[in-house]
Amino acid sequence: MKSIKTMTNLTEPSLGPTRLAAIGMDQRQRNALRVLFSNRCNKRYVLTEEASSEICILDLDSFGGDQKWKEFRERHPDWPLILVSINSLEISDRHTLFVQKPIPVERLIAAIESHRRNLTAVDTDSEPAIGSTHCNDIKPIPSEHPTRNKVVSTRRAASLMSASQEQAFIGTSPDIDPDDPEHINKIYYNPEHYLQGLVQQALNQAVRHNHNIDIEGPWPGITLDIVNNKIWSSATDRQLRPYCTMPDTTLEVQLSPVEAGWTPPAEATKHSFQSFIWQLALWASRGRIPEGTNIRQPIYLRRWPNFTRLIITPYAMPIAALWAEQPRSLLDTANALNIPQRYVFAFYSAACAVQLAGETRRAVDTLIAPPAVEKSKLRGLFGSLLDRLRGGK
Amino acid sequence: MNDHKIIFSGPVGVGKTTAIGSISDIEPIVTDEKASDMTKSQKPGTTVAMDYGMISLDNRERIHLYGTPGQERFDFMWEILTHGGIGLILLVSNSRPDPFSDMHFFLDAFKHFISRTKVVIGVTQMDLSKKPRLEDYYLQLEDSGLKIPIFEADARAKRDVSLLVEALLYSIDPGLEG
Repeated sequence: MKSIKTMTNLTEPSLGPTRLAAIGMDQRQRNALRVLFSNRCNKRYVLTEEASSEICILDLDSFGGDQKWKEFRERHPDWPLILVSINSLEISDRHTLFVQKPIPVERLIAAIESHRRNLTAVDTDSEPAIGSTHCNDIKPIPSEHPTRNKVVSTRRAASLMSASQEQAFIGTSPDIDPDDPEHINKIYYNPEHYLQGLVQQALNQAVRHNHNIDIEGPWPGITLDIVNNKIWSSATDRQLRPYCTMPDTTLEVQLSPVEAGWTPPAEATKHSFQSFIWQLALWASRGRIPEGTNIRQPIYLRRWPNFTRLIITPYAMPIAALWAEQPRSLLDTANALNIPQRYVFAFYSAACAVQLAGETRRAVDTLIAPPAVEKSKLRGLFGSLLDRLRGGK
Repeated sequence: MNDHKIIFSGPVGVGKTTAIGSISDIEPIVTDEKASDMTKSQKPGTTVAMDYGMISLDNRERIHLYGTPGQERFDFMWEILTHGGIGLILLVSNSRPDPFSDMHFFLDAFKHFISRTKVVIGVTQMDLSKKPRLEDYYLQLEDSGLKIPIFEADARAKRDVSLLVEALLYSIDPGLEG
């Protein structure tokens, strides 16, 4: 005889949307799930409280996550559960599935559907669809970002930056294997050891004490003019660059207040704070990122850089557009755009130096994996237009 | 031959005609007429109908560049002009009395178009008036949740206008190869 399968601790399976509860998630994370279920899952699932739910999602990374899991299983030994965590996990509980964060939407749906099939299984004698569960039990989901050969399109990129400029600002470092500690070590630099860090420190000091500051060192004069929001430098790029690319050239440096009545030297060029520090950060980083940056943590863009007045590195514009939509990790950004990592690292270092970008700190930002980049129907046309605007045909 | 269009909008005297001329393949067609009392103090030959420029691409496609009439009494034309448009380049002048009000007015006027496409804002004449700063424009948009690209722009500079268009294209399709 066929009947709806029931589970002792489970509420009646619904004919409408599947009811899910989120345990160990803050309000933002819950809202993110609500939006996901409503917009991308056509309201097939709804978020509800634990008591009225059919399936629970538990965030193991929340405070006391392991304890919450243990207590949950004590309350509901056979309740369908989806565990999520940033760390991978093997599970030997047949009522539990695991999805690693950031959650690929398709994997979450596959896990929910797997549980849902069990809830509505018509043959009581059949074995549960989920055998000994393991994160690999969920059918492999095609990669969100189709793997193409990573071809660097230098055709258009080159028109924004010459090959020599690109080498100076970005370097030529190959992609790293994020799981190899030796590779990881190669991608970091410490801005404090470069002229970039010194100028940032001087700027903070100038703002704090509300006076202009001279940065005196082996280079031609650099003066921070906070009254006019400008940096005056008598150094040409050629003169300045060696001090920006070599670490510890700033050891014998003096920051001194500028006397009243100071006027910039005739040969000095003025720069905005942002454009000057942006350039210094590019030189110092050369396709690397500041020490301590987590390459798997999503990056937010506070606002778009003022690209018309800055050095534009290759792919800076699409990276900014992507981060303006939603925070993404550095690795995911390179994958999503199918570009070498060094371009993403360089742009991040510059944007971070002028405080336009940073790592997200909110739990919600690491909960759900960002969607694949949607291809416009007019991509071909846009490509042709880009070519034209950059001086091509 | 396929035809597409990009819309340039903004208040009187902001540089729409100049911006279109900066990137157009053809000499912009300007339908200037004698300005009304309201606007002639700001720009004697202001555009009361529309501007038109064009970029021809080698694959028999054309991008038409339309500048909306600056005067608000021609706003009935804005909706017509935007039909089928790729996106909006909104120019705001820092030297006008209340550029924030201008920005909000035009974002509101084009909100249906923007909701279907994207918008990029170019702030012109920052050399004449340093304030407000770009940060202030972003602060004005903070509550809207919109992360619109806002760049300083000289409408006479091809590079600046081109970058506004580039930002528009990448906002629509970040995966665009480039």
